[in-house]
Amino acid sequence: MPAVVEVRGVEKDYPLGKLTVRALRGVDLTIDAGEFVSIAGPSGSGKTTLLNLIGCVDVPTQGSVSVDGQATSSLDDNGLTNLRLHKLGFIFQTFNLIGVLDVFQNVEFPLLLQGGMDKAARRARVEAIVDAVGLTPQLRQRPNELSGGQRQRVAIARALVTGPRIVLADEPTANLDSQTGANIIDLMKELNAKDGTTFIFSTHDAEVMRHANRVIRLADGLIVDDGRGAPRAEVPAPASPA
Amino acid sequence: MGGVAQLRLMVVLGLRSLWTHKVKTLTVGSLLFFGTFLVVVGTALLDSIESSMARSITASLAGHIQLYDADAKDPLALFGSGFMGSDDIGEIPDFAPVKAAVSAVPNVAAVVPMGIGMATISTPVELDQVFLSLREAVRDKDQARIDALAKRTRAIATDLVTEYANRAKISTDTERIAKAQADLARVLSDAFWKELEDSPELSIQFLDSHIAPLASDGRLVYLRYLGTDLDAFTRDFDRFQIVEGEEVPSGHRGMLLSKTFYEKQLKHAVARSLDRIRDKRVQGTTIAGDALLRTIARELPKQYQRITYQLDPADAGTLEGQLRELLPQVEGGLPELVQAFLAVDDANFDARYAAFYELIAPHIKLYEARPGDVITLRAFTKGGYLKSVNVRVFGVFRFSGLETSDMAGAQNLVDMMTFRELYGQMTPDKRAELADIKAKVGIEDIDRASAEDALFGGGALVEEHQDDEAGFDEFRGVDLAGQVERLREEAAAPFDQTAVDNGLALNAAVLLKDPERLDESLAAIREALDAAHLRVQATDWQSASGMVGQFITVVRLVLYIAIFIIFLVALVIINNSMIIATMERVAEIGTMRAIGARRRFVLVMFLFETGVLALLSGGLGGAAGIALITALGHSGISAGGVDIMVFLFSGPFLYPSAGIDQLLLGVTAIIVASLASTLYPALIATRIQPVVAMQQKE
Ligand SMILES: Nc1ncnc2c1ncn2[C@@H]1O[C@H](COP(=O)(O)OP(=O)(O)OP(=O)(O)O)[C@@H](O)[C@H]1O
Ligand SMILES: [Mg+2]
Repeated sequence: MPAVVEVRGVEKDYPLGKLTVRALRGVDLTIDAGEFVSIAGPSGSGKTTLLNLIGCVDVPTQGSVSVDGQATSSLDDNGLTNLRLHKLGFIFQTFNLIGVLDVFQNVEFPLLLQGGMDKAARRARVEAIVDAVGLTPQLRQRPNELSGGQRQRVAIARALVTGPRIVLADEPTANLDSQTGANIIDLMKELNAKDGTTFIFSTHDAEVMRHANRVIRLADGLIVDDGRGAPRAEVPAPASPA
Repeated sequence: MGGVAQLRLMVVLGLRSLWTHKVKTLTVGSLLFFGTFLVVVGTALLDSIESSMARSITASLAGHIQLYDADAKDPLALFGSGFMGSDDIGEIPDFAPVKAAVSAVPNVAAVVPMGIGMATISTPVELDQVFLSLREAVRDKDQARIDALAKRTRAIATDLVTEYANRAKISTDTERIAKAQADLARVLSDAFWKELEDSPELSIQFLDSHIAPLASDGRLVYLRYLGTDLDAFTRDFDRFQIVEGEEVPSGHRGMLLSKTFYEKQLKHAVARSLDRIRDKRVQGTTIAGDALLRTIARELPKQYQRITYQLDPADAGTLEGQLRELLPQVEGGLPELVQAFLAVDDANFDARYAAFYELIAPHIKLYEARPGDVITLRAFTKGGYLKSVNVRVFGVFRFSGLETSDMAGAQNLVDMMTFRELYGQMTPDKRAELADIKAKVGIEDIDRASAEDALFGGGALVEEHQDDEAGFDEFRGVDLAGQVERLREEAAAPFDQTAVDNGLALNAAVLLKDPERLDESLAAIREALDAAHLRVQATDWQSASGMVGQFITVVRLVLYIAIFIIFLVALVIINNSMIIATMERVAEIGTMRAIGARRRFVLVMFLFETGVLALLSGGLGGAAGIALITALGHSGISAGGVDIMVFLFSGPFLYPSAGIDQLLLGVTAIIVASLASTLYPALIATRIQPVVAMQQKE
C-alpha cells in the first residue's frame, strides 16, 4: 500500500508567554492508504498537535509533512485549503456542525465548496452517504434537534461525502457515551473497510483503541510506539524553556 | 466557487444566520430601514420642491438661464439677495448682439431682455382729488360744479374741525393744531369762497398746500417693476395670464400690474380690510376669536373718511338715504352712518360685506389705479436723480398656479422704453431734444445730470426732486393734467422691435425648448457669448434667483448632513454588532475553513449576509418611504398659506412624487454604507484560523 501521510523530523513549538511549549519534539511517521489508525497517549502528549499538522490546519516548526504525496510546506493558505477540501475529511470532538443548516445542507456543504457537480448528482451523493450513516429520517432536521451520536454521524457523513483520501478525527467519541462511541467507531471502521478510506483518530479510550488496526503511542511530544514494530523512543524529557 | 448552488448556499446561510441572531438583525435592520426611509422621503420631497420651485421661478421671471454683465459687482438675484435694491448687476449696454448670439444656440427658444427697478407711485389723498376736480372746474368756468365742490370742501372742512378739536385734547403739538384750526376756519369763511372767484389760482394753491395735508396722509406705494420686451414676455412665459384689462399693444409703452400688487397695494383700504376679514372667515376664523381680525374690525369705522371724502355730492345723498334705510337707529349725517356701517362683527359681517360692494364700492375709487389709468412712476436713475415717468396701465396679470404667492407677484411689468427712461438712459428723441436745449441755452458742455434736470426738472410737466430726503417722502403737487398731456405725446410715438432690442438691458432671460438639457445649453450659450466677444455671463435659474434659489441648496445640504450623521451612527452600530457577531461565530467560521472554505468565501459570506439584510430592510424602508410620499402626493402638502411656501410648492399644495430614482438612491446608499461597515468585521473573520475548530472544548 502507498503512503498517504509522511511525517519527517517534525517539531512543533508553541509560544506560551516567555516559555516555548515543545508540543512535538521530532516525529517521524508513515501512514499507508486504507489504514485505520489510532493515536494514543496521555493528555498533553501531542495527539491533537500531530493531527492538526497532518490535517493541514497548522504548519510544523521543523520538519516536513506530506499528504497524498504533496509537501504541505510549499503551499499557501489557498493551497492548504484546497488540500483539505479535496483530500481530507474532518471529524471533531465537538461535532462542529453548522447550526443554521439542516442535515442535508451540512453534508452537502463541502460538495458546494468543491463545485462542479450537478444538482441531481449532488443530491444522490448526499442521500447515499446520509443513508450509510443511518440518518435518512433526520435528513431535514437541524443539528440542535439531534442527539450527540446522531450529530457525530452527520459529521462523519460530511467528512466522507467528498470521498477524501484521509479522514482525521480528534477524539471523536469523547463527548459520547461509551455505547454510542463504540457504534461511531464501528461505523467508521465499516466505511474504512468498504471504501478503503484512511482513518486516523486520537483517543484516550482503551476500548476505542481496540478497534484500530494500528495504534501509535505518543508521550511528551515523541512517538513511543509507532504501532508497526518495537518501541523505539528514548526516555521522555520534560518541556524545556526556550 | 461560483454557480447557482453556491449562491443558494449563501442565501440560506445569510437568511438563517440573520434569523438566528435576531437582536442584531433587528437593530441593524431597523437602522437600515429608517436610513433608507429618510433618504427616499427626504430626497423625494426635495426633488419635488425643487422641480415645483423650478416651475415657479422659470415660469414667472427667470426663464431657464439668465444673462447679465460679466463685470457685475454683485451676482444677479432676481428674487432679492437680501440687500434690496443695492445690488449692482452691471448692465448690458446693447441687447441686440446678445440676442443674436444666444438665439443662434440650438435649444434656445427665446431671449427676453429685462431690467428690474423699484419705483414709488403716489396715491393721492381723497382731498387731492377734490381739489384737482375743483381746479378743473375753475378752469372750465363750470359754476355749478364749482358750487358742488365748494359745498363738499366745506363739509370736509367741518368734519376736520371736529377731528382737530378732538386732537387738541390729546395732542401736545398745540402749535401745529392751532395753525390747522386757523386754516380750516379760513376755508369755512364766506370770504375765502369770494376770493376763489377773484384769484382761483392762489386759493386752490392754499387748499393744496394747507388743507390737503390735514386729511389722513397720502400713501407712498413702492412698486417693483420689471422692464421687458412685453410682446416676448407674454408670449414666452406661458404661465402669464391677463386677468383684467388687456395686454399692452405691440410697440406701445405701458404697464401691466401684478394681481397680487393690485389687490394688496392698490385696492381701497376699507375694501382691503373687509376682504381680509372675509378671507379669514371663509377659513373658519371668527372676528371675536382672532386678535388680528378684532383689531382690523376696530379700526374700520375710523376710516370712514376714506369713503366720505371720495363721494360726489350727488352720490353722497343717495348713499345717505340707502344707509339710513339700512341703519334707521343711527343719528347724525353721512359720516355717522358710514361709521356705524363699518362697525362689523361676526353677526352682521356677511350682510355688510355684500352691502359694501353693492352700495358703496360703485361710488368710490376701489383701486387707486385701474387698467386705463395713467400712473406716475418715480425712481432714482442710475445717476442718482429722481425721475418721474407717466405710464398707462393696460392690464392686470398673474402667473397661473402662483395666484396666492406674493413673491411671484412681486414684479409689475413695464415696457423696455419706459424702463430705460426710469433707468436714466436717453432715447434718441431725448438726445435730440437735449441737443436742442443745448443750442438754445448756449451751453457747450452740459453734463448728464444737468441735462436731465433741464429735460425733466425745468419743464412744467413733472416736478423733480433732487434731494433724497424729499424724494421718497413727499409726493405732492404732481400735475396730473400735465401728465396726461405728456403721455399722449409719448403714446403718439410707437416704437418697433428694433428699438426694443437695440438698447440697454440689465439682464435677459433665456427660455429653452428642452429644459432637461440645461447644462449643455448653458455651456453652448457661454461659448456663443465668448465667440461674439460679449462681456456677458450666463447662469442657471437657480443661482440667478438669489436667496430663493439658494434655499433649496441649503435645505438639501442640511438633509444630506442629517443623512450622513445617521449613516455614520448606523455605520458604527453595524460595525460593532458585526464584530460581536464575528466573535460569536469564530467556531463556525473555523470549521468552515477547516473543511475547505477559502478566506474569500468567508468574506463574501459576511458581505452577502449584510447585503441581504440591507436589501430587505432598505427595500422595505424605501417602499415605506414611497408609500408615504405617494399618500402625500394624493392628499397634497399644504403650503399653509405661507407665501414662500406657495412659491416653493408652485401652488397652495405640493403634490410630491417618488419614483424609482429615489428608491434606487436610497437602497444603493444603504447597501454601500452597510457593506462598508461590514468590511472590517468581515476581514477579521477571514483571519480566523481553521485550527480553532480543533480547539473547541465543551
Ligand atoms: N495553541 C497552543 N498554545 C500553547 N500551547 C499549546 C497549544 N496547543 C497545545 N499546546 C500545548 O502543547 C502540548 C501538546 O498539546 P496537545 O493538545 O497536542 O496534546 P493532546 O495530546 O492532544 O492532549 P489532550 O489529550 O489533553 O487533548 C500541551 O502541553 C499543550 O499544553
Ligand atoms: Mg487533544
